[in-house]
Amino acid sequence: MEMINLTIDGISVKVKKGSTVMEAARNIGIDIPALCYLKGVNEVGACRICVVEVEKARTLQASCVLPVAEGMVVYTESPAVVEARKEILRLILDNHPNDCLTCDKAGECKLQEYAYRYDVKFRDHDGARRIAAIDTSNPYILRDNRKCILCGRCVSTCSQIKERSVLSFAERGFNTRIIADNDRILGQSSCVSCARCISVCPVGALLDNRIAGKARAWETKKEEVRCTQCDYGCLFELLKKNGTVIGVRAKEPGEGRPLCLKGRLSVDLAYNDNPAAPLMKKEEGYVEVSWEEALGLEKIMKKL
Amino acid sequence: MVNLIINGVQCQVELGSTILQAAQKIGINIPTLCYDERLAAHGACRICVVEVKGARALMASCSTPVAEGMVIETNSPSVMEARKEILRLMIENHPLDCLTCEKSGNCILQDLCYEYDVKEGGFYGEKKSYPIDDSNPFFIYDPNKCILCGKCVRVDNELQCTGAINLIDRGFKTHVGVAGDRTFEDSNCVSCGNCVSVCPVGALMSKKPEKFRQWEVKKVRTTCSYCGVGCQMELLVKDNKVVGIEPVNVEPNDGLLCVKGKFGYRFLNHHDRLKTPLIRKDGELKEASWDEAMDLIVSKVKEIKREYGPGAFGALSSARCTNEENYLMQKLFRAVIGTNNVDHCARL
Repeated sequence: MEMINLTIDGISVKVKKGSTVMEAARNIGIDIPALCYLKGVNEVGACRICVVEVEKARTLQASCVLPVAEGMVVYTESPAVVEARKEILRLILDNHPNDCLTCDKAGECKLQEYAYRYDVKFRDHDGARRIAAIDTSNPYILRDNRKCILCGRCVSTCSQIKERSVLSFAERGFNTRIIADNDRILGQSSCVSCARCISVCPVGALLDNRIAGKARAWETKKEEVRCTQCDYGCLFELLKKNGTVIGVRAKEPGEGRPLCLKGRLSVDLAYNDNPAAPLMKKEEGYVEVSWEEALGLEKIMKKL
Repeated sequence: MVNLIINGVQCQVELGSTILQAAQKIGINIPTLCYDERLAAHGACRICVVEVKGARALMASCSTPVAEGMVIETNSPSVMEARKEILRLMIENHPLDCLTCEKSGNCILQDLCYEYDVKEGGFYGEKKSYPIDDSNPFFIYDPNKCILCGKCVRVDNELQCTGAINLIDRGFKTHVGVAGDRTFEDSNCVSCGNCVSVCPVGALMSKKPEKFRQWEVKKVRTTCSYCGVGCQMELLVKDNKVVGIEPVNVEPNDGLLCVKGKFGYRFLNHHDRLKTPLIRKDGELKEASWDEAMDLIVSKVKEIKREYGPGAFGALSSARCTNEENYLMQKLFRAVIGTNNVDHCARL
């Protein structure tokens, strides 16, 4: 394995050829912020928050997609880098609702984390703001496109499963947005509510509708459980408040782990102390059904 | 005893109790902002209003005494609407700064807005615009975030008894400040920080060199080591570093601390702090193990005792030690070394 030597923030590092600068930095405990980067899923250099200064390079470079090179000298928090990150955050916030007061993502939001880290606040401006409606048509996924920062993580993770591929980018420039199918509301799209997109959204644009409004991120204790519906064994998280499980949510899907609604519902039924009734998509829309029907257990239950 | 019905539940409480206390007794949670069990009821924020059958208006449960046969609803539609309206009025005159506000995650106004789903005020009008006072070395005061609950003023005047801060002016201009509207530095404030500890929002906040969000810290209960009172407090710990201190509302301090307990923790992570014993070798202090240091002390003590007798020793202990430690110190010197030359800094 060919190794590459480089210097990051004055520290000499040796990493495998083909690694990115971000990976090299993380190896030595330097945390470069990232919004759009998701290893193996979304390596697109879209958000630019991970820019670093590379000696002799013409401009700042996106470290998530920049391969290491022999003798590279990198600065991850130089004044130019910090100023660039602040400006990126200011621009994102300019088109993001000031909603941390009650946003369900607050406390786990990457945008909030970096705004705090770089001391960037919302500013008043009279420029255009994105116009979008909150999509409540799907009882499992709450989509608020006003909060979307167009990182593309949801699109990438959705398209990793061939037969799903529901989400995509539409339009260009300021009008760019994420759409489901041919711009349908989620409830009427081919979305199967697997929650892959929710689990990777860095902000509050995609939330689990079944737990929205139940607790702040910092009030709950999290416990990982594995779904036993099939041999993929996807990871889920129990959210506990005052000792009782108030909700179940999907963790990021691992490689080859698809996530599915049936799995999430079965974990919900197994662990949640007070699970809400499942809703099944039928011709007339989402209809409340029995757990037997939702989990496909009717025939088995009759014989038990 | 008085009998009353709260949310359809019969209960019996002592005469003189408030509706809030009666509700708490049967496990009904009524939100509060200005209420503090240690302070005289104030009834300022009105968030604790409840519906009392036959009463002309909604009543502030924190300051309304129970009466025989009262029928109370704590969550009726009119109560909920009143609370929402109070929150809307508060949030309209409060900076929407939760993105980076240091109080976010531990702010009662934020908690209540989440619970009652209040996202914005929806009013148009004047907003507070006061300068931020950061003259005090330990805390920062942002009057723009103040909701005028008056807890800081009452803790200062009723419990701390310094009387440094008060409510100044009237109506929309009402604000908390020190005498003559000067800065904290120019006032008789003793920096005890008790106002900071009770502030339900981000108006009075500890200054902190370390950046952290409220949800990133682990709380560790401990006893203050500064004096013999034994105040109870919680260390806020992030990445194994103490980054803040909060008092605990139990005996003996009942949620109060002094300037040393509240703010004097920076020495804990100070780079000058000794972490190992030092032994002078060849005129230079060098790090040593505890075993080495103890062996050296024992050998020196034996040597001096042999040469000059036990009267050559004297022991001074500290008011920052516990009673038990001080007892052991004098016991060691009286019984083992054999001298009565024992003294203590608190005697001075």
